Amino acid sequence: MNIPFIKYSKVWYAVSILTSMVALYALFSWGIKLGIDFTGGSLVELSFAKNRPTVEQMDNTLKELKLDVNVIQKSGDDEFIIRTKFLDEDIHQALIKKIRASYEKDGNTVTEKSLQTIGSSVSQQLRQRAVSAIIWVNIAIILYVAYAFRKVSRPIASWKFGTLAIVALAHDILLVMGVFAFLGHFFGVEVETDFVLALLTVLGFSVTDTIVVYDRIRENLIHHSASEFGTMVNVALNETLMRSINTTLTVLLPLAALFFLGGSTIHNFALALLIGMASGAYSSIFIASPLLVTVEKWQRRERK
Amino acid sequence: MAQKKQVSRVAMSKTSVRTKLIGVVFLAIFCLLVVAPSYANGGIDWLNKKANLGFPRLPDKGFNLGLDLQGGAHLIYQAKIDKIPVGDVVSAVEGVRDVIERRVRGGLGVSEPLVQTTRVGNDYRIIVELPGVTDVNQAIKMIGETPILEFKEQNNEPPRDLTPEEKKTMDTYNAAEQVKANDALKAVRAGMNFGMAVAKYSEDTTSTKTNGGDLGFITSDTFPDLYNWAKTAKVGVVSAIQKSTTTLVIAKKTAERDGEKEVSAAHLLLCYKGADRCDSSVTYTKEQALTKINEIKNEITVANFIEMVKRFSTEPGSFSTGGDLGTFKKGNMVAAFETAVWDAKIGTIVGPVETQFGYHLIYKKGETIPKEYSVARIAFYLKQKTDIVPPTESWVASGLSGKQLQHAEVASDQRTGQVQVSLQFNEEGTKLFSDITTRNVGKQVAIFLDGEPISIPRVNEPITSGSAVISGNFSFTEAKLLSQRLNSGALPVPVELLSQQKVDATLGADSLQKSFKAGLAGLLLVMLFMIIYYRLPGVLSVFSLLIYTVLTLTIFKIVGVTLTLSGIAGFILSIGMAVDANVLVFERLKEELRAHKPLRSATEEAFLRAWPSIRDGHVTTLISSVVLLWFGTGFVQGFAVVLGTGTAVSLFTAVTITRTIMRAVFGRFKDEANVLFLGYTKNSK
Repeated sequence: MNIPFIKYSKVWYAVSILTSMVALYALFSWGIKLGIDFTGGSLVELSFAKNRPTVEQMDNTLKELKLDVNVIQKSGDDEFIIRTKFLDEDIHQALIKKIRASYEKDGNTVTEKSLQTIGSSVSQQLRQRAVSAIIWVNIAIILYVAYAFRKVSRPIASWKFGTLAIVALAHDILLVMGVFAFLGHFFGVEVETDFVLALLTVLGFSVTDTIVVYDRIRENLIHHSASEFGTMVNVALNETLMRSINTTLTVLLPLAALFFLGGSTIHNFALALLIGMASGAYSSIFIASPLLVTVEKWQRRERK
Repeated sequence: MAQKKQVSRVAMSKTSVRTKLIGVVFLAIFCLLVVAPSYANGGIDWLNKKANLGFPRLPDKGFNLGLDLQGGAHLIYQAKIDKIPVGDVVSAVEGVRDVIERRVRGGLGVSEPLVQTTRVGNDYRIIVELPGVTDVNQAIKMIGETPILEFKEQNNEPPRDLTPEEKKTMDTYNAAEQVKANDALKAVRAGMNFGMAVAKYSEDTTSTKTNGGDLGFITSDTFPDLYNWAKTAKVGVVSAIQKSTTTLVIAKKTAERDGEKEVSAAHLLLCYKGADRCDSSVTYTKEQALTKINEIKNEITVANFIEMVKRFSTEPGSFSTGGDLGTFKKGNMVAAFETAVWDAKIGTIVGPVETQFGYHLIYKKGETIPKEYSVARIAFYLKQKTDIVPPTESWVASGLSGKQLQHAEVASDQRTGQVQVSLQFNEEGTKLFSDITTRNVGKQVAIFLDGEPISIPRVNEPITSGSAVISGNFSFTEAKLLSQRLNSGALPVPVELLSQQKVDATLGADSLQKSFKAGLAGLLLVMLFMIIYYRLPGVLSVFSLLIYTVLTLTIFKIVGVTLTLSGIAGFILSIGMAVDANVLVFERLKEELRAHKPLRSATEEAFLRAWPSIRDGHVTTLISSVVLLWFGTGFVQGFAVVLGTGTAVSLFTAVTITRTIMRAVFGRFKDEANVLFLGYTKNSK
């Protein structure tokens, strides 16, 4: 079995550039909807034992309180999620009291399942930390990849391996962010701190995938330096193909279990990871390795 | 020669494989015992019961669950430190932390709160985690108060007398009540329906007013005055005005009935060693006590009962009481005793009766059935002195409070070396303190914190310097704590609630259950996949995956890693990671077998060749984990710890454990392998 991956490089590039463009468009025109972790505010989750009011009824009830309500959303079979500007404890108590007074009739009871209120200074801190974590993870990974490939210098410099791994990685991150921009725009999905966790985990896994393929290329470079570079990369890709597929599957299977069985709290987290992991496997085969060959071609052309 | 060497090496490696395999088995057993000790404890209990060996039980501690899984509240406060001198900020914030911890422990009864201070830039924050707390509102109220320090002096004022004016008002009021009562009585006597009269006149505010003044059946305990009156009155009779210090009452007896039977009895008790509340001087064994009491039974009569009790009863105090128990109702005595007394005929002695206190002989003296009376009333409330003059307090505020305290610190008495807390007041405080001490020489003053007296020193002489010491029997830690508290009272650091997160316990339990299910399903799916795709090696990887799972959980439990929802997600994710290393090795093995290498050397080769990829892949994930640990806050760190631990453990299990199992099992197969191995092709040479 020998699939000519490298031969169709341009096709993969086209596909990836297209998806990246779409993702970029989504990101810049809609942006990712940030949750209260990053914007500050309050999120109240209520469950109703018997009759859940309609969104309209709830909206009217909350209007009487003159609150700055952002989102009123049904969730599950008997729950409501209400997102507002930052509530201090007194207003929060007033809100719960009002809802109880309005809907606790005929044996109906209202339970406050969870509450999160995040002040602006905390959300600012979370934003800063998220950004610095992403920057530092990237720097650390580039350094490590450069270190791991330090012995390879022919025909491609080790730092180029590192850079290309990062290109593949950027593609994966872009895709995940694009999907969440889309979800945010059309379904009101908001991202919280756990989304950053998912992104950073995807970073790690995506680069691992790329490294495994590169490792094989490196090994083949040492053993069969005679054959043409493109052919050799293609051989390496085919040799590691089953591993890439199987590893991705063994990661995606538990993630799928988490997505379907893990409950609503963990839903978006699992989804971000699912997309990122799948994309990570794709990019290491269809982007990172063909790019190596392309770069090598450029180098030769320059030398001529 | 060379051949001999080869053989001996194989033999040696076989034994070393066996040793390692035993090690793996022991590791697995150990981890299982740590993760699920309840099964093992069940076995130990059974053994102990059967053989009475007294093996100790294993520690049965659960996992540390985060607030999102067990329910509770997470609060972040900001300390407003702008008014505090820079040098005192840290101790002031620490003081607030201690106060909050004391308040949530004492005030809310949270047994394991986590109260921490953190510094973000120039801000000091206090993080409060309250597992299991449902009433967050109350918690917030309790925590939000600034500590209040007050100096109080003894209240020398005797309870004052009523002023003539007050006395006049009171008398006028009571006279008016009396008039009302007279009117009401007149009306009832004139034939007014009692219920109507209650509705019209009674000043009862409870339901008594609306149900015709009915108090229900009363006993001598609940309304002694009315009960005494009702004893002699006939049903339907209305009383005259009954006056007590607080009320004027017109009563009507509406019914009477038999109450619960009461029995009067005396007893003689013989207790024995080991019986409940048995005096230590008693030397009877249980058998001896039984023999003795039977002897006594033969001699005892109603006439000599008291004398016999005085001679033999082991009950403390029985010499003076003669064993008399007075009258009692059902439910007052232990069951065996009660049954015996209730069944006995009046004037007889029964027994011996065995209870946990020993053996009893019981003399039933009599039984009575007290009456209960149903009474309705019209009540008028009178005023008394205590309603007008407030009760006196033993301490009164002196005007000196934490506002005027400049500083408190731990000091020691130069002569005795005793630990003290020294106080320094500001200008206003110095003046006040000097006045107070002048007023109170030889008396005590009290220092109150949050309304509780924490120290009550005696004033020996007037203090005009504005500094004072509180001496008491302090240990150094107590003194430090006190000064910290005083400083936090003296330098009030108001706190502001920045953020709160609350998770209902049921939601937490639900999340836990769901993520557990998801983890289990994920694990099973991965195992199934490995077995179907890689055949025999897949089966072996399942074993190492299981060991991976229990080993990681063991580390979580021993180290005390707090498991949060995202942490469990990280763990589920690391299962995939753990398998990745096996996939890499098996793919290599497949290639080596396709190249017709002998099974054993193919295995070793596969591990060797897969190692760089395994290493690099794990390292990148470890890098992410470490950076997250460095930059993250609480729950991000939870995820990072779990992912990082999982990755490190999987490096160990995937390489060492899988290799050991593979070596041990593959040793039983021929070198040319067979269809159980992926990559096997019939050798057609």
